Amino acid sequence: MSKETSQKRVAIMVGAGYIPGINAVVAGASLAAGQLGWELVGILDGFEGLLHPEKYPNGGIISIDPRVLNLDPNTSSVLGQSARVDPFNVRIVNELEMVEEVDMSDELLKRIKAANIDAVISIVGGLGMSILYQLHKKGLNTVCVPRSIENDIASTSVSFGFNTALTFTIDMLDRARLAAKAAHKIAVVEVQGEVAGWIALQAGIAVAADAVLIPEIPADLQQLATHLKNNMTGKKSWGLVVVAQGAKIINQQKKEEKVSSLKASLSPLATSDSNSEYVIHKSGQAAQAVAEGLQLRIAEETFPMVIGPWVRGGVPSAVDRQLGVAYGAGAIQALEAGSKGVMVAFVPPDVKFVPLAEAINKVRTIPAESMFFQVADSLGIYFGNKEA
Amino acid sequence: MTDQTKNILEITGTVLNIQRYCSHDGPGIRTNVFIKGCSLRCKWCGNPESIGMKPEVSYDPKKCKGKECSICLKKPFPEGGFYFVEGDDSKIKVNWQLAKGITEKITSLCPTGALEMFGKTMTVAEVMAEVEKDASFYRSTGGGLTISGGEVMLQPDFAAALLQEAHNRGINTAIETACNAPWSFLEKVLPHVDTMLHDLKLMNSERHKKWTGVGNERILANFKKAYETFPNVEFIARTPLIPGVNADDEHVMGVLEFIKPYKNVIDYELLPYHRFGLGKYESLGVIYELDDYKTPSDEVVNRFQAMIDEAFGRTEQRSV
Ligand code: SF4
Repeated sequence: MSKETSQKRVAIMVGAGYIPGINAVVAGASLAAGQLGWELVGILDGFEGLLHPEKYPNGGIISIDPRVLNLDPNTSSVLGQSARVDPFNVRIVNELEMVEEVDMSDELLKRIKAANIDAVISIVGGLGMSILYQLHKKGLNTVCVPRSIENDIASTSVSFGFNTALTFTIDMLDRARLAAKAAHKIAVVEVQGEVAGWIALQAGIAVAADAVLIPEIPADLQQLATHLKNNMTGKKSWGLVVVAQGAKIINQQKKEEKVSSLKASLSPLATSDSNSEYVIHKSGQAAQAVAEGLQLRIAEETFPMVIGPWVRGGVPSAVDRQLGVAYGAGAIQALEAGSKGVMVAFVPPDVKFVPLAEAINKVRTIPAESMFFQVADSLGIYFGNKEA
Repeated sequence: MTDQTKNILEITGTVLNIQRYCSHDGPGIRTNVFIKGCSLRCKWCGNPESIGMKPEVSYDPKKCKGKECSICLKKPFPEGGFYFVEGDDSKIKVNWQLAKGITEKITSLCPTGALEMFGKTMTVAEVMAEVEKDASFYRSTGGGLTISGGEVMLQPDFAAALLQEAHNRGINTAIETACNAPWSFLEKVLPHVDTMLHDLKLMNSERHKKWTGVGNERILANFKKAYETFPNVEFIARTPLIPGVNADDEHVMGVLEFIKPYKNVIDYELLPYHRFGLGKYESLGVIYELDDYKTPSDEVVNRFQAMIDEAFGRTEQRSV
């Protein structure tokens, strides 16, 4: 790979979904670009700044200079944020005043070229990475920085944003434990993690929860109830159960409405399927379902709590601040090394550049042999149906 | 067969589904033809598969044979469109970003039907062959054909041909529409309609824009013009009733006020929201934008129904 030494104009953008401290990544990229004499600019609100510049009185691209801009890594993104970032599927109101989705990817690439942007650093999650991979295949020179609250992006040990979410979750679980203790009840706390249970398991270990339910291992509510009963004999009159948003529960009836004739008439593909394994997907429902299910099997009172989107606010943790700056600088290093269509990965002790084709379509779940399971086991934490 | 009839029968459209024995969209027992494509994006939409104009792929993991099959990992399926996750339940996963846009021909290679197309191109003749299967029911119950969507007005030539052909065969016709389309589209369709069920989702234009993607000025103007231009059509106003969006007195009263001057608006129906679309959004790879809409309570629905009954001078109150 040849080193890219000529002066470059690099843009940086953020995908959909808020994560605290994104400025740390921007600051890292900006400082590293400055060292090479490269110019760094920011695209506002995902790709909106380029696709709809008319929305921005001063233009949708801003110049980023750490000496001029306040790139305090404690504050949020100077680049703004958009709820949807997918140039292949941009929702517009057409000339007939009808809503439709159009593919603006070619237009976006044209505008990137017209703005003399040589490469784009994209701070994105799993879905964003697939979009950037598509753009890369169409010729965009891009480097992605992995960003995920639940740490589910494969090929990197840790994504930006995970540590902050974990830190905050531990803090909230400590509070929930005190509430449970005071009320002599069982707190069932839902934490982030639709496909990967890293937050639930690591935070659950940190606060020595009674149980941790995760997407990777189906949990049996009867076993959980027995476990809690055993734990709550003697002096301990309270319990703490941590439930990931995507926890799998077995032996739990899924609440399913029968397809009514009205539904069948309104909705052409109406079905009312059910299966024995109940996967909880929607925010707030996991804690509710587990608390209700437990309540039927145990004398002690349960109460659900949801941490949910609270983890997306606040300030980044010390680890994320360092990681963010390192990822930003790493993205510039990747471009300097001539890498195209890669994700910057942190594989201790190295920073690596992984091709996007290898980074997408992999989910970083907790492997069965993870030492976190051994630790949880040794602490007497229930984490699912081991026989399942 | 005259040339003109022949032409009508050959007109094609994109049909999502044909559902027989329906009883909620127009009089009697009906056959609902759902056509694809919508010009609004209601955040609560329960029929996401009807939104896009083109046929699109859907995935049902329960039918997937998993690793022993793996056909979709190879060409002609798009690279990276389908994948397995290590240690998982051995069902294929779909990268919707990369799998979007695969054709019907490619989809048909899936041996189990786990991958399927939502929507197919059909001629008026083909649709009518299905519709006619229940002709005896239509006669005995006063039912007929209903075209739903998506948005009927997005395929005006196809919809008009279908309705005209139904009339030619003595079949009663109804459409279900939100009328977010140019008047010239409505003008093609409405001459062939017996009953038009139409959605009044939000009376406040700013809020209409927030929840559906566009303001309601043209929609309301279309309704008024339709009531006035087609006095023989029976119009039924409808509201999908959603707490926090439009399940309030102001909306219901606003609709009643709006339709009051028009004698051919024969009823106002409430459709209490149910979380119907959820499973399907997942199978299309789309995520509910906001997933915690509630179903309105019976008490609220009955109260609004009483307001409607009073406005229509009905003494015996119905409950929904
Ligand atoms: S082709 Fe169909 S059955 Fe085979 S792996 Fe793919 S989705 Fe599953």
